[in-house]
Amino acid sequence: MSVHRSRLTRLTRLSALAAAAVLVTAGCAVGTQDPDSSSGGSAAGVGGTLVYATGVPDHLTPGRQTVAFDQVMSLFAPLVEVDSSNNISYLQAKSVTSDDAQHWTITIRQGWTFQNGEPVTAKSYVDAWNATALSTNAFENSGQLAGIQGYTDLNPSKGKPKTTTMSGLKVVDDHTFTVTLSKPDSSFPLQLSQAQTGFYPMPESAYKDLKAYDQHPIGDGPFEMTGDFTPDKEFTVKKWADYKGSNVAKVDAVTFRPYADTNTAYTDVLAGNADIVFLPTGKMTSASKDFGDRLHSFDAPGIDYLGFPLWDKRFSDKRVRQAISMSIDRQAVNKAIYGGLYAPATALTPPTMQGTPTGVCGQYCTFDPAAAKQLLAEAGGWKGGTMKIVYPGGLSLDSLYKAYANQIRQNLGIPNVVATPTTDWSEYWQSLTDSTVAGPHFGHWGALYVSQQNTLRALFTTTGGCTLCTGKYHNDEVDAMLAKADAATSTDQAAQLYADTQKVIIGDFPVVPTFFDKYSYVVSDRVGQLPASAGSPVITGITLTKS
Amino acid sequence: MAELTEVVVPDLATDPEDVRRPFRGLVRRPGFVVPAVLVLVLMIIALLPGPVAGLFGHGDPTVCDLGSSGDPPRAGHPFGFDIQGCDLYANVVYGTRSSLAVGVLTTVLALALALVIGLVAGLIGGWADFLLSRLTDIFLGFPFLLGAIVVLNSVGQRSVLTVSMTLALFGWPTMARLVRGSVRSVRGADYVLAAHTMGLGWWRVVTRYILPGAVAPVLVVATITVGGVIVAESSLTYLGIGLQAPAISWGLQLSDASDQFQNAPHLLWFPSLFLAVTVLSIISLGDTLRAALDPKQRS
Repeated sequence: MSVHRSRLTRLTRLSALAAAAVLVTAGCAVGTQDPDSSSGGSAAGVGGTLVYATGVPDHLTPGRQTVAFDQVMSLFAPLVEVDSSNNISYLQAKSVTSDDAQHWTITIRQGWTFQNGEPVTAKSYVDAWNATALSTNAFENSGQLAGIQGYTDLNPSKGKPKTTTMSGLKVVDDHTFTVTLSKPDSSFPLQLSQAQTGFYPMPESAYKDLKAYDQHPIGDGPFEMTGDFTPDKEFTVKKWADYKGSNVAKVDAVTFRPYADTNTAYTDVLAGNADIVFLPTGKMTSASKDFGDRLHSFDAPGIDYLGFPLWDKRFSDKRVRQAISMSIDRQAVNKAIYGGLYAPATALTPPTMQGTPTGVCGQYCTFDPAAAKQLLAEAGGWKGGTMKIVYPGGLSLDSLYKAYANQIRQNLGIPNVVATPTTDWSEYWQSLTDSTVAGPHFGHWGALYVSQQNTLRALFTTTGGCTLCTGKYHNDEVDAMLAKADAATSTDQAAQLYADTQKVIIGDFPVVPTFFDKYSYVVSDRVGQLPASAGSPVITGITLTKS
Repeated sequence: MAELTEVVVPDLATDPEDVRRPFRGLVRRPGFVVPAVLVLVLMIIALLPGPVAGLFGHGDPTVCDLGSSGDPPRAGHPFGFDIQGCDLYANVVYGTRSSLAVGVLTTVLALALALVIGLVAGLIGGWADFLLSRLTDIFLGFPFLLGAIVVLNSVGQRSVLTVSMTLALFGWPTMARLVRGSVRSVRGADYVLAAHTMGLGWWRVVTRYILPGAVAPVLVVATITVGGVIVAESSLTYLGIGLQAPAISWGLQLSDASDQFQNAPHLLWFPSLFLAVTVLSIISLGDTLRAALDPKQRS
């Protein structure tokens, strides 16, 4: 009996995680199919077919996918690209400008076409965004467009929408369109970067049959489909000869092979049957022994934390939360559970986020059992009986939460601290929704673009989308500061204001930041270069040493 | 558990003297002595885990140091450390209690149920026998592990008691059938008829003449069941639907160890060794008892 669910952390938000944590019972595809184009790989370590071991993809329409980032990103070109050194540059866009952070003008590059020959125009973007936002289409990534004026008209709280287009989108000419946001947002250009696939364009032909398009997406990116995609079967994309972007692929083709069990994928990469796979948590302690320098770890835009039921008297004193934070030896946990691959958190956002004030958490994120005990005593000691640390079951988090519980129990001298898994994700989520969660609980936020904004707004404002994840934390000052940062006129200035906001939030200490995420990958010995951006490998930059 | 039905019901009427003292000579057989001693030792461990765990000076299973995570055995820690850095020896020792407790409790519950149902069906016969036998058939029809998985998934708190009750729910039918069979064969025996004829009361006939004859074979099955139940508990716990942390159990230890097999194989070896020895001892004890009770197998 196979009771396996992989922990899907990469590039998934909590909500995506919820959707994806569904047990997938697909058999894994076996056997290689050589795509027609790949046989003649050129010399000097270029060319060849890369076999990418992935999870089981849900959709390939950019507005719909929630777990097929690599596949979709290889078929399309984003307007804006965040590169491996975290700088942003324009890719399909020529410029994205605004004077007031609310009214944006996007100019796209000329002469681009989709893989079926259709030109890429301003209309390709506006139509695709409207289709993604329209509630009746029920596209999964609709929420990414929520900041655009008129989004609420397409997503009324009751009934059917009266219109199918957002009032904030206007086509100016073939290569220019304007975007009006419902309120100023200086991070908008970052939101257009590669992982926010809801902002990708679609060709006219897609709307004739959206279902067929989902199986054979036609993009404007470095790779094109070689056949239809069938769920649970591997499929191959080949380098598209007419691609206009600068990030031309170094391999000839990529085969995306889905695995229901990432541990199987791991073994296959070890045996050389596949070339690259995202490292499952359970293998973190053995990966460096198995792969040596073929194990790669990248800073990722995710943060792990412990949330609290702030309404619960036992945890309402911030000194209790600070004491818990100081009682956790993050270095030791990292080494024992993550094989040293993660990084202890010292701020509320990971350093991949522009301008993150690393170290802002200071002494409260530093292991100091004596000071922790003293702080707890000052707060009146622990009189709450058994402290339950709640986490969703079935996601291989057991060792991690047992380690937290042991640390808190021993270092704070609380007799009973128990790591308590819920049966599944939905039970965990329900306990947050009902405000019945019994104690400190699992928290994770993975952002899709590298601005502090996304994480701070989602977790620490009541309207941000995940206020449940932080015990409904609320502070008017924080709300005001975030609004001010959103309205900043440059991303640098915004980053500074977000950093200031973090100081205020840390002052309240609503959560215990535990780890900055790292996304780790193991590769076969065929893989030469492996550049990455925002935690994920840049497929176009990967080279193979033998084909 | 199909093999359990193969137990041969001894022909009790032919050799009453042997039935009365079937255990004579048993104590001299190595097939009895070795497992019996092992089971005794395990019982002591289960009853007094504290002193046994403390033999090497680190008897508290909840004292953990992440710095020693997955370390191999060393002085004072004969089994090494688990992934949380807790002493594995202490944990394995404390795990004995839950495993044996589930094994014994389940068997006692199932045996009680089986005796009542088997006696009623065997003695009263007729419609009661028909109804109870069909009920037994229905429960025999449920796959043991699958049934337990379904029930345990809907049980909120999974403790030794709830796990035992669930396993007992699906474990009684084989024994009930056996009891019914022996009761029916004894019911018409001459000495029972004689007891009736002498005017002994109904209750006295059942407890003095029928039950002793019916209970011996079912005890053998019960002993073997203890072993089977311990395996079932570990399997369920390994799958995440048996006992739950913070309970200490071999199944939980095996489940934690399976991810770490390449780094720290000792995490798998020691709990498996205890599990295997326990189950093997109990089952061979049961086998020896069966041989002693079965005149056909006696040399």
